[in-house]
Amino acid sequence: MDIRRLEPRDIPLIQHANLENLPENYFMKYYLYHALSWPQLSYVAVDVSRPKKTPYDYPKIVGYVLAKMEEEPADGVQHGHITSLSVMRTHRRLGIAEKLMRQSQLAMVETFGAQYVSLHVRVSNKAAIHLYTKTLGFDQDKTEASYYADGEDAFSMRLDLSIIRDQIRDATDSEDIDEGEPVGEAGSKTLPVREKDLKKVKVGRGLGVQALVEKDESKHS
Amino acid sequence: MPQPLSSKENSLFRQVIRNYEEKQYKRGLKAAEQILKKNPKHGDTLAMKALIINSLGKTDEAFALAKEALTADMKSHICWHVYGLLYRHQKNFEEAIKAYKFALKLEPGSPQIQRDLAYLQAQMRDFQGYIQSRTAMLQSKSQLRQNWTALAVAHHLAGDLAQAEKVLTTYEESLKSPPSNTDYENSEALLYKNSIIAEAGDYQRALDHLESIAKHNLDRLAVLELRAEYLAKLGKKDEAAKAYRALLARNSEHPEYYSKLTEVMGLDGSDTSARKAIYDEYAESNPRSDAAKRLPLDFLTGNDFREAAKLYLTLMLDKGVPSTFANLKHLYTDPFKKETLESLAHDYVEAKKSQSGDESLAEGELKGTPAGLYYLAQHYNYHLSRDLTKSLEFVDKGLELVPKNVEFHMTQARIWKHYGNTRKAAEIMDHARNLDLRDRYINTKTAKYQLRNNETAKALKTMSLFTRNDSTGGPLSDLIDMQSIWYLTEDGEASVRNGLIGLALKRFHAVYNIFDVWQEDQFDFHSFSLRKGQIRAYVDTIRWEDKLREHPFYTRAALGAIAAYLGIHDSKLVMNGVNGSTNGTANDEAEKKKALKKAKKEAQKAEREATEQAAKQDPNKPKAATSDNVKKDDDPLGLKLASTEQPLVEATKFLLPILQFSPKNIDGQVAGFEVYIRREKYLLALHCLNSAVAIDAASPVVHEQAVRFHQEMSAKLASLPAKVTEVIKTEFTAIDASTDLKKYNPEFLERHKDSAAHVVSAIKIRKLLGEDQKACEKALFDVLSLNTDDWEPAAEALGLLFQWRSSEAEAFRKAADETWPEVTLFKPPPTPPTTS
Repeated sequence: MDIRRLEPRDIPLIQHANLENLPENYFMKYYLYHALSWPQLSYVAVDVSRPKKTPYDYPKIVGYVLAKMEEEPADGVQHGHITSLSVMRTHRRLGIAEKLMRQSQLAMVETFGAQYVSLHVRVSNKAAIHLYTKTLGFDQDKTEASYYADGEDAFSMRLDLSIIRDQIRDATDSEDIDEGEPVGEAGSKTLPVREKDLKKVKVGRGLGVQALVEKDESKHS
Repeated sequence: MPQPLSSKENSLFRQVIRNYEEKQYKRGLKAAEQILKKNPKHGDTLAMKALIINSLGKTDEAFALAKEALTADMKSHICWHVYGLLYRHQKNFEEAIKAYKFALKLEPGSPQIQRDLAYLQAQMRDFQGYIQSRTAMLQSKSQLRQNWTALAVAHHLAGDLAQAEKVLTTYEESLKSPPSNTDYENSEALLYKNSIIAEAGDYQRALDHLESIAKHNLDRLAVLELRAEYLAKLGKKDEAAKAYRALLARNSEHPEYYSKLTEVMGLDGSDTSARKAIYDEYAESNPRSDAAKRLPLDFLTGNDFREAAKLYLTLMLDKGVPSTFANLKHLYTDPFKKETLESLAHDYVEAKKSQSGDESLAEGELKGTPAGLYYLAQHYNYHLSRDLTKSLEFVDKGLELVPKNVEFHMTQARIWKHYGNTRKAAEIMDHARNLDLRDRYINTKTAKYQLRNNETAKALKTMSLFTRNDSTGGPLSDLIDMQSIWYLTEDGEASVRNGLIGLALKRFHAVYNIFDVWQEDQFDFHSFSLRKGQIRAYVDTIRWEDKLREHPFYTRAALGAIAAYLGIHDSKLVMNGVNGSTNGTANDEAEKKKALKKAKKEAQKAEREATEQAAKQDPNKPKAATSDNVKKDDDPLGLKLASTEQPLVEATKFLLPILQFSPKNIDGQVAGFEVYIRREKYLLALHCLNSAVAIDAASPVVHEQAVRFHQEMSAKLASLPAKVTEVIKTEFTAIDASTDLKKYNPEFLERHKDSAAHVVSAIKIRKLLGEDQKACEKALFDVLSLNTDDWEPAAEALGLLFQWRSSEAEAFRKAADETWPEVTLFKPPPTPPTTS
């Protein structure tokens, strides 16, 4: 097993893993959109033990977390979002999902100053709910009715990342006393939640990228 | 020349543009008509009308109108720009670039045209042109950092690292005050520059530069990784070791960190205990780390290996980690490790037996004894340690303990697959699926096994349990939309086996198209990434996209398509009697008619089902119907594809990317030979042959092709141009020109008489060299007595007998069925189903 950052060339096999495992699927451009907007946030688990069949075999992806930063946070607070997370049935019980999540969360804070991370999970997915709440410490925020295309409800969950932020601060403090704000102001700045203050940035509109984001939202991650 | 309009019409024209941009096509069209009523030859308006018509899907009409516009006003940049946009829409990028350039010549200051040109140049990898465009864009807006970065990227992609760095530095030096620590664009631009310095190979400077920017850089991981890499490359071992330790503290599941750490510590030699101590250290500080515990198994030997393997295996099986075998099987290339793991797994199961009451059994989980049995079942199912009878026994033992366990059933299905019993494999996988209906993974596996058993309709039905089925195209259209390449490829291959060549081509083309889409997908990122400021990821993507079709996903589907087209070509030859084969024509004709009839019937059935599906649809969800009106597939069964007049041209289209991007794939070279020899492109055929020889000279197919080439050249060489003859004489070295093939082939057979695949090849060649068919048929029966588990050469032999329309085929099938009673392929063909 190898846990490392996603590389663009991993995408076909990430998409493959997603199609094998989950009912919520995306076309490649949506993966590219993540990989090219927040390359630091997505991680893969690679089966490095697999013997190669041809000289052109790509690393076999057995798990991945596809993550993003919320582009227009409704609450004005910088935060990350887990678009998709899955581990092959054959590679469970190794703690891969947790390890992928922890790497992603660390990067959310370090690189983008995320305050918290959010995600949706099917209300029936007990294993995933257990991972999020018990292992990773997510709180159940609310239930979103008929969130999924097949009509199932979703739990909306979030995890406060201030612990990671403090750890980074402590680590850098001990290393260099001048470096008190490693996360940066964007990270700690909480915009007052007033409608008119929220910047409406239509990233990628007219580029086709936004269009695919919308297409995805209708499908639901 | 710009054609003047009255002020009212001028404002109408601006409205047309606005309508177009806001996608209000009908309004735009109306306004354009209004202008044209008075000025029927107004070029710009005609052009805008063409653009709108194109957006409404009438491309041909749009092109005609755009040409009319250009005739009316050759000097209008709008007309040329529109002409370029239409070509761009058609994906004729060369012509689009030409048109944009004309437009830009007429209106040098237009940022819009300049942008459109630049992105297309990036897409087409016209980096010199891209540099020019980016230079112009920088000059017009030099205050924007992304314009500087973009020019650097252009130089970088064009291979000019020094110039790329210089551009980035020029911008940095122009800054009056340093950007804020949280300026992401700045942070990334600095790291991008650092990566360029390193790419030039100057690691000392790269390291110095990295240290100068590291402190506030927002990509912590990249900084740590690059620092470690540079230090290691520069031989600064202590510091490098420290850097790799920092990385391991972040992520103890990345094997490269361990190997680099032990390397810089000088521990990669024979002192395995010192090396293991490093891993132990991390296993202790990260009790949940798998890598730290497992990786030493790669380099430990003898008793050290046994001890470590025992600990690891016990831990994993106690915990019930289903991937234990998958994580260890790469060790099986070492016979000692293979045997050790086998005996350790047996010991584990024995030891559990003597323990009283395995509490995990109650939960029906794959822990303890069942985990040990599961490991052994997989062990005996693996090709390096295969004993399928034993494997089945361990599955049975496991199922006694945990009868509802999905994993054991999955393994059972795999065992039957390895036996060649695709029917039973599919049935058992389906049973496993029923044990966990909510899991898509097992659902996917079931569909795959059904496809391997040629049950395409059943497989689609299985897939439909997890696809979105609300469009009239049903689950298949969702699978195509979601780019489910594995399904399309497997369905295509199953269709080939079912004799539905059109349908097979349809699927392979769908995969081909997905790769086109993937290539096109990068287009938007030429601008998007610069605005996002994520430069390194963008450059990575561009480089990956450059060899996109290297992916085995592409090669597999393309090989399927090539084989299908070769089949179409060959059967045409037979029908036209070109190669003098006399015994097949009538049969082929009949068979073709039969296939066509079958296909038509399927078409009608599909249509009927689609109508039914549409009827069943919830009237409250009208969405699907409208979106599907737009793209109705006029060849759902690929009958048009299969009736192509130029199968070899089509095959070449699929072939070229394989030869370009995967030249070391022997199957690609073999396919290339087949295409080119039929096209009488002998130099290209020879090149493929020589490449195949270089990859695997002992391959049976290579033997066949070399003989065929030799034979064809003996007949044709004299009639070829002198230069070609000369090249062939010097380059064709696989078989000497003076060789007597009738001696050469038996020699080959003698060398490989124990390999069934080689025996089949040699017999094929005997027939090719004119030997009596009866004798060849008889010889094929030898394959059955080679006493091997590998039944696939016999399947090929059976195929040959069918191809030769041999009366021995049925006898061979029966004999093969007796030799390998589990192989579905050797079972009597099912009686034709009565038409439904």
